[in-house]
Amino acid sequence: MRSRRDVLKSAVLGGGAGVVAATALGSLGPEAAFAAQKSFATQQVEPGAPDPNFAEGRIRSIKDNTLLVLGSNMVFHTIRVVDGTSLWKLGPVPFDQAKPGDGLYARGVLMPDGILAAEAVWLNIVNIKGHIRNITSQTIHLDHNGQDVLCHVVAGKSVAVHSESPPTADLSMLKVSQHVQIMGAWRPDTNEVDIATVFSPH
Amino acid sequence: MHGIAASQPYVIALFLAWAGLMKLFGRRTRAQAGRTALARLTGPARAVPALRLVGLVETALAAALLAPPFHPLEGVAAALMSVGFLAYLTYSHVAAPTASCGCLGTHSRPVDARSFARAGLLLAAALLATAAAGAAPALPSVIALEAVVLLALSAELDRHWLTPLRRLVVRVRRPLAVTPSRDVPLEASLHLLRRSLAYCSASAQITSDVLEAWDEDGMRFVVYGARERTAVFAVPLSGNDPAGVRVALV
Repeated sequence: MRSRRDVLKSAVLGGGAGVVAATALGSLGPEAAFAAQKSFATQQVEPGAPDPNFAEGRIRSIKDNTLLVLGSNMVFHTIRVVDGTSLWKLGPVPFDQAKPGDGLYARGVLMPDGILAAEAVWLNIVNIKGHIRNITSQTIHLDHNGQDVLCHVVAGKSVAVHSESPPTADLSMLKVSQHVQIMGAWRPDTNEVDIATVFSPH
Repeated sequence: MHGIAASQPYVIALFLAWAGLMKLFGRRTRAQAGRTALARLTGPARAVPALRLVGLVETALAAALLAPPFHPLEGVAAALMSVGFLAYLTYSHVAAPTASCGCLGTHSRPVDARSFARAGLLLAAALLATAAAGAAPALPSVIALEAVVLLALSAELDRHWLTPLRRLVVRVRRPLAVTPSRDVPLEASLHLLRRSLAYCSASAQITSDVLEAWDEDGMRFVVYGARERTAVFAVPLSGNDPAGVRVALV
């Protein structure tokens, strides 16, 4: 009895006999891509109208696999998380990591009963630009439009991308007063962020 | 005590002269006047004349404080001016929390605790100066100490001393230095993945973010949802060539 991971592994490495509909690189022809675009085009949203398949806000309560979310425009969203839903909180996380108070962006399919069946949920994700005011032990003090944001380096998760070079776990090349863009996970109700990626222009 | 009080007019005068001359003759100061909280108070069109007027009053008061003999009324005028500064800082903190105060030249930092501390120190100095009684000589050490404290409280000068100092501390102590580890962060693999032809060819099918990821045999396997199917990528853990990334839709 092979595990699910073994099946996926053999599919992608090409050794998988009996794997249904496995596609190696190259066989995803343009017709597949165009088919995807066509179905996307039929669902396209009117300019200015809210996208029904998208929700944002902060989690008010969690019941079973359903999140009740209050949007920043004071609209409530009900979001269902299923097995195939990806959750991000500084990386892929299981559903029990979603907590009331977390901010989120969710994308999925709006069901006829008004529930958004989520395909992907990003918890507390932020993308901020600013200047490094100071660097102390495993933290970067960011000046974002005059506001202090305390950014924590998380060992094994945070990476730095300098210009076009490949990402590195070594963040020690960053300099005080330089401009950076930081993607990370906000710690709710604080001015603190856990760093996923620091983008540096040089 | 009298010596300390007698030193205050010089401290205040030096500081007001700096502030006044920056406002009167600083080209960049005038250019950025529209972005200060003063522009909010007076309207953008009157920001430059208002800045000039404040600069003129500051310079005149500085000259009066420096010119002997010292009159207690000059101390009172300086105290009133400091109260005015505090009121203006409070206004800008409330009405334009993101604008800089435009007090001493240009910088983009909004009003913060240091600005209030600086204006508060000026007020204390001015109140002390009103008590200065004629004959006592000024103490150069007191003047120097107070000037240093006032300059340290000025965010305008941070780039001349605070930023280099912090850079030096970072260079010496290396707070972000990590012990070399063989663990590759997932984010690093995902950057490689997103630049690969395999990802570009499959991206139209992908509907979710990363569902799961695990390492095996020098590869990192990353699974995405792709409509009713699953997209599984194999990303090499070593090397930086996106051509090594493979994909299968299962």
